[in-house]
Amino acid sequence: MNYEFTEILETIRMTEIEHFDIRTVTLGISLRDCHDRNLEITKEKIYDKILRYGKNHVKNAKEVESQFGISIANKRVSVTPISIPFDSLSVEEYIEISKTLDKAAEDIGIDYIAGFSALVQKGMTNGERELIKAIPFALSQTKRVCSSVNIGSTKAGINMDAINMMSEVIKKTAELTKEKDSIGCAKLVVFANAVEDNPFVAGAFHGVTEPEVVLNVGISGPGVVLDAIREAGKVDLQTLSEVIKKTIFKITRAGELIGRKVAEKNGVPFGIVDISLAPTPAEGDSIAEILKAMGVEDVGAPGTTAALAMLNDSVKKAGLMASSSVGGMSGAFIPVSEDMGMIRAVQAGNLSLEKLEAMTSVCSVGLDMIAIPGDTPASTIAGIIADEAAIGIINDKTTAVRIIPAYGKKVGEMVDYGGLLGLAPVMEVRTISSQNFVSRGGRIPAPMRSLTN
Amino acid sequence: MKLSENEIRKITYETIEELGTNVSQEVIKEAVKKKVESLNNFPLKHTNENSGKVILTSFGLNKPGIVAAITTALGNFNCDIQDLSQRIIGDFFTIIMIIDISTSQKDLKEIQEEMRKTAEQLNIKIYLQHEDVFRFMHRI
Repeated sequence: MNYEFTEILETIRMTEIEHFDIRTVTLGISLRDCHDRNLEITKEKIYDKILRYGKNHVKNAKEVESQFGISIANKRVSVTPISIPFDSLSVEEYIEISKTLDKAAEDIGIDYIAGFSALVQKGMTNGERELIKAIPFALSQTKRVCSSVNIGSTKAGINMDAINMMSEVIKKTAELTKEKDSIGCAKLVVFANAVEDNPFVAGAFHGVTEPEVVLNVGISGPGVVLDAIREAGKVDLQTLSEVIKKTIFKITRAGELIGRKVAEKNGVPFGIVDISLAPTPAEGDSIAEILKAMGVEDVGAPGTTAALAMLNDSVKKAGLMASSSVGGMSGAFIPVSEDMGMIRAVQAGNLSLEKLEAMTSVCSVGLDMIAIPGDTPASTIAGIIADEAAIGIINDKTTAVRIIPAYGKKVGEMVDYGGLLGLAPVMEVRTISSQNFVSRGGRIPAPMRSLTN
Repeated sequence: MKLSENEIRKITYETIEELGTNVSQEVIKEAVKKKVESLNNFPLKHTNENSGKVILTSFGLNKPGIVAAITTALGNFNCDIQDLSQRIIGDFFTIIMIIDISTSQKDLKEIQEEMRKTAEQLNIKIYLQHEDVFRFMHRI
């Protein structure tokens, strides 16, 4: 036999018991050729183009799933940041566009479409300003559209004016979707150093340097890593790093295979494999559990950041060896609501917002899916975003904030979205004010690190 | 290699540019056709193009007739079993088979469906996965 008995069983165990799945196959579609003077024609062009490339996306992905016996959790689409091709539009017109995106997503059978986005790290055009103003309405009037705004980069610094706008947008979105636990905020990401080929919705968009259409894949598999670490038992950290690397190598290879096959079926070029460890609310599919298996009593204990740093680094090293098309975020995600271990750590009082912030400095992506009290002032949210952006631009990495000021809720209450978005306990936020700092506005200049030429 | 609609369109534009606008449509058509054909003949090596081999894994509580049931179903579909290996640990069995389905008139999906029924009847698990996934994960 070409394969060892144990090798075959290992693959079966990964896919059947340890929740190894491909987290997402995301079809990136450029909308740059869809602008027209007439809004109705613009909408038609957008709809037609998404349907042209995406109509068989779900079907093709399902066929690959059954062919290889590896499930693909999400089939999604990302588009060019809407503010770029459609810069001349107004708030109302942008809302119209978001509805077109929603309709197209529905008609091709996907749950989310991402790219209602703007890149404003240095400054904003009139169109970008209009788009940002449209976000709360777009997210509350559509079901499937996701939005992201990049407010800082290592090369440009941090746009504090944009942060102030975004913190108001987040509050407004929370209010407009208050009936559903402010779910709009779960579809809105504020980035620093956003990447153009990220397949993970809600933060995905099809960057301007990307081709006409491309298929990117995001792997998952915390459950697989968790079991490998548990099996390894009490070994030193170098050995543990080897264990993680071997596991990640295999799942990255599988991820690339699946991505390439789906791309082939869709007749589009294959882009990248994003080797992020992304948890799901399923038991055992958890980054928190991995950190605990590595040795900390609970997430938040001293040592957590170091453990996460090692995990993240081992993932990257193995991923790079396994695929020559690594891209996207490529790190470990630590969303609170989507990870049962994280939720428990917050509820037990072991994990605070501050510790999470420290953890984001060594992994991707940032303060993700964190619920905070609904009465948190916009200036405090702006402060939180600025802190994350600072970690990002100084360390030359992507950071993001996807925070939910749960309307009308207090610390200790829960927001519950069900499905992959999970549920989150409302976390405590410091009440000391950031007002006078953030309200200065302007831009934090680009750091030393930007001058690399 | 199959060219997409966009690629063909691009080639057409390029050809028109090369030949200028004075030539007839027929000439352009012929030139494009030639180019597309030459590209299609280009031996681009694809990532381990389907070998037609599938790996069947089955496990569950051991009882008589399991191998018989699986192989009968495969035989009915004209699948060629190329390798077979079995282990028994306590009351449980594990069977792994390498099957060539290129001889079968059915595709993988239909065979999987049939195996699902067999598995249900015997109260065991049967998985069928394309060989590539194992090659990618366990071979560099």
